[in-house]
Amino acid sequence: MLNEENLAYYEDMLIYIRLNANKSEQQTEEVLFELLEHLLHSQTEGKTAKDVFGDDLKSYCDEVIEEIPGELTNNTVKYLSFIVIQFLAIISLCHGIIGFAIHYFFDLGESSMTFQLGSGIVVIVGYLILLYLFIKTILRWIKGTSFKKKKTKTWVEFLQVWIISMVFIGLFILFPIAVPSFGKTINLPIITFAGVGIVLYIISFILNKKYRITN
Amino acid sequence: MEISQRSQLFKGILKGCILSIIKMQPTYGYELSMKLQEFGLPDVSEGSIYPILLRLQREKLIIGEMRKSDTGPNRKYYQLTEAGQMQLAEFIHHWDLLKQPVDKIIEKGGN
Repeated sequence: MLNEENLAYYEDMLIYIRLNANKSEQQTEEVLFELLEHLLHSQTEGKTAKDVFGDDLKSYCDEVIEEIPGELTNNTVKYLSFIVIQFLAIISLCHGIIGFAIHYFFDLGESSMTFQLGSGIVVIVGYLILLYLFIKTILRWIKGTSFKKKKTKTWVEFLQVWIISMVFIGLFILFPIAVPSFGKTINLPIITFAGVGIVLYIISFILNKKYRITN
Repeated sequence: MEISQRSQLFKGILKGCILSIIKMQPTYGYELSMKLQEFGLPDVSEGSIYPILLRLQREKLIIGEMRKSDTGPNRKYYQLTEAGQMQLAEFIHHWDLLKQPVDKIIEKGGN
């Protein structure tokens, strides 16, 4: 067991090193395991993480990360497709079910939705870019919180994440409004979106089972 | 001392020493750093071997394998590959070429 001081150091290193999505997961986990084992040994000699890995833990971790090989591109592609399909599935499903429910139970909105094909495609691509930026921003934020000498107050951290999330939710709402209408006009019953969502979800589920993406 | 330790020359020598120790027998990280200290390599920060081990793996000079150790926990044991053996032989050759002239020059200088 690591003592309190070393545990705090090691957790920072663990998070910081793990947050590099484009690196080989196996190599990452193996080196983290080695660092832990080394630290456990050194701890019995009364050493701290700083005695073992140097005073500047962040730049030590940067050195380690730089030497971890990149993940096989094939796996990265599978993982990205999985994320994209599942994201679109959830958006489509929510859109379909909520739209249908509002119309059916409260008699608000339309039972069908009219949109332009061109604008629709732009909106979907824009959503994917927004999702990418959102994930990047959050990961960068987490990285920024590692190796702080003084712990930031929880409510400050909460506020920071809250603001980031609000900005992105705002962008998600504003973007479709800002995109001009162009392309062929299409009219679909709103429940169709729920159907498309379910189909996409099943596809992502099968992909996950087949390629063991999330385990 | 900190900066010169991280110089290319020192890194190269450390790399040669690591290959050399791994050649004796399959070795895991902590054991390797202990051996380096036993041989008296001055003030190598213990953790500095891990980036080097990662690089040696990437260059396919060593391979690491998770194995059960006698005392229980899994450990990653490193072994030299054929390319690693060749690299080590090359290092030893270069080192021999350097060592004697450098020693002589320093002696003449009256140090």
